[in-house]
Amino acid sequence: MKTIDIVERIEGEAKLVCQWDKKKISDVKIQFLNFRGFEFILKDKPVLDALVYTPRICGICGQAHLKATVEALEDIYKNHNEKLAVTNKAKLLREIGLNIEIIDSHIKWFYMFIMPDAVKFSNNSFDEYSAIKGKKWLEASSIASETIKALALIGGQWPHTSYMIPGGVVSDPTLLDLISIQNYMDQAIRFYEDSLVGIDLENYLTLSDFEDLHKLKGDLKDFITISFENEFERIGKSYNRQLVLGDSLSFEKGKVNRKLIKNIDFENIKELTTNSFDVDKIKTSKDAYTWSKTALYANNFYETGPLARAVVQNRNFVSDIHKNYKDSMLTRVIARVDELGFLLYKTKQLIKQIDINEDSYIKPKISLSEFKYGIGQSAIEASRGSLYHELEIEDDKILKYDVITPTVWNLGPGVDGKLSTSQKAIIGTDSIEKAKLILRSFDVCSVCTTH
Amino acid sequence: MNKQINRPKIVWLQAITCNGNTHSFLSANTNRLKLFLNSFDLVYHPSLTTDILLDELLEKNEGIDFLLVEGAITSNKEFFQISDQTTSEVLKKLLLKSKYLIAIGSCASYGGVHKKFEQNSDILGLEEALEKKDISSLIHPIVNLTGCPVHPEWILQTLFSLKEYKKIALDDEGRPKEIYSYLAHHGCTRNEYFEWKVEAKSFGLKEGCLFYEQGCRGPMTHSNCNKVLWNDVNSKTRAGMPCIGCTELDFPRENMLETKKNIGIPHEVPLGISKRAYLSLTGVAKTFKIDRLNERIIK
Repeated sequence: MKTIDIVERIEGEAKLVCQWDKKKISDVKIQFLNFRGFEFILKDKPVLDALVYTPRICGICGQAHLKATVEALEDIYKNHNEKLAVTNKAKLLREIGLNIEIIDSHIKWFYMFIMPDAVKFSNNSFDEYSAIKGKKWLEASSIASETIKALALIGGQWPHTSYMIPGGVVSDPTLLDLISIQNYMDQAIRFYEDSLVGIDLENYLTLSDFEDLHKLKGDLKDFITISFENEFERIGKSYNRQLVLGDSLSFEKGKVNRKLIKNIDFENIKELTTNSFDVDKIKTSKDAYTWSKTALYANNFYETGPLARAVVQNRNFVSDIHKNYKDSMLTRVIARVDELGFLLYKTKQLIKQIDINEDSYIKPKISLSEFKYGIGQSAIEASRGSLYHELEIEDDKILKYDVITPTVWNLGPGVDGKLSTSQKAIIGTDSIEKAKLILRSFDVCSVCTTH
Repeated sequence: MNKQINRPKIVWLQAITCNGNTHSFLSANTNRLKLFLNSFDLVYHPSLTTDILLDELLEKNEGIDFLLVEGAITSNKEFFQISDQTTSEVLKKLLLKSKYLIAIGSCASYGGVHKKFEQNSDILGLEEALEKKDISSLIHPIVNLTGCPVHPEWILQTLFSLKEYKKIALDDEGRPKEIYSYLAHHGCTRNEYFEWKVEAKSFGLKEGCLFYEQGCRGPMTHSNCNKVLWNDVNSKTRAGMPCIGCTELDFPRENMLETKKNIGIPHEVPLGISKRAYLSLTGVAKTFKIDRLNERIIK
């Protein structure tokens, strides 16, 4: 038997094509059928205009694309032995902005994209979680909208600011601005404590044992209860390989393939189009079924995102849950909610480290147009995982721009008989509703996937 | 309860988009968003509602009061399809039962960033993508809310106005006059620097106007970004990022973060000001060196 389902509410849509055998999914193809061609759009554009274009790849994680572009451009300087001086203050303001965007995204994901579906697995009535009308949905949309004001204080607006530029940031917040940003974080922390996990953040951050899951209250407890009633700790498992490409003040790069290695080499990244459509129809392989490409690290599929980041960074609570329940759907969901708490705490620390007397921006001594040719790479940890940018420039124009988004790592098509991370996570599931929830547990961004 | 039944029905369609307008809308002032949800019936939004899928919506005969479209339209199915149909097909089907059509953002208005994807030559804004027969059920001209993204308050004000007065005055580009007759420049906290022609010495400063070096389009961009602030708290130009003119039909232009100049003067002068007037005024202003405007604001 074959079923085809359209999944919405994943920043666009995807098609889930399942083969069934003995009431279980025996094969699955995840199709992304929309293509917007950003890599083609960027070709031949003036180099710095990339700062305006790439945030517009995605309405929910645009600041990650912005940071990736800025760091790739700065990498071009570095490759010409002209490494730019960027002040600590500018670095902090970039990372704080990105963290706020991730915090906003994680709140929306749990309440708008996961819970309205998860509660359907319970016999209890959970009207509070219903989309648009439910008290909890409204509360979450409200706190997300409040939280993102903090980013607007740095970048002028959200979405779609280009406040990061090679050499620093364009803005110069006052100490009072920083206090307001702190206040917005505190407001979000209150929400995290009162509504989401039901315990103080400080307490929460000391949890280290998987049995502590039962100490949680709040809305996350509802998810945990539903999970154990429906064995979410046993489904959604994939290769249990984790990848973090980006290094920052908040996260550490590394990979886990049985053992943890805290070293990443961009040379190991491979992007394949074996099962992907090509803009040039003649070049499209006969097996193509999605616009998403395939991303491999050292020839293997990896999972990227909050679970990978917690495991690579060895954050106690998630690491212990992971040890017991592997890369199950339960672990994946907990990891994202955990990261929300972790980032709220971390971001407050980062705000405190800002010395407002430092420069926000140091003008590069030479302009990018002075390099006849250049190549730059960067990897950023975005809401959904590792985001990779690579570009080549020539005579102040973009020659080639390549973007590998987190969702490509997680949801791109399998190749050469190897299943992709999400395919493997879904196969073996006994209901389409569970399969869809597993898909959601990766926090799919359809628009990013096919950029 | 009756009030609930009479709420105007809204359908939000996503075509070729980054969903930035959706997230801009979700970032609206909380109380305003709640009032919106109480005053209108958001029947379908692909990222938010769960009661009905697009397929089911297309089957329904029920009328739609406001059809909101985010993103550009194409009839090319190979590059873009939603629920097995082209965005053009879906749009036309929904339009037949709609009273008002509102373009949410620059892409829906005229193609925007997505129109730059030249390998698909058929990427259009609503007006361009539709023929007269397609819009026969509309009781109002198409409303274009340009902006990349559109400001959430512009959506709310437009919807509440149409609900109350049934019509809204539009400029030549189909944009509500009361929003787009202003310039982004109006209300910018850097205005004094503009008046006295003091340029920002570089990015990353509170001081100086961004019009002279950093490419700011504030004086020639129709929007009220500095009147109705973003996220209630700020604007790009206040923060230090030049206006990139994202509400205008020529967005995205080239070299958006630098000012094109002729003999040291911006190539394009503020809207409606003659070059002669601008040059004269600049000449006079530059003869004065005003210490206060060349020092840090906070010392």
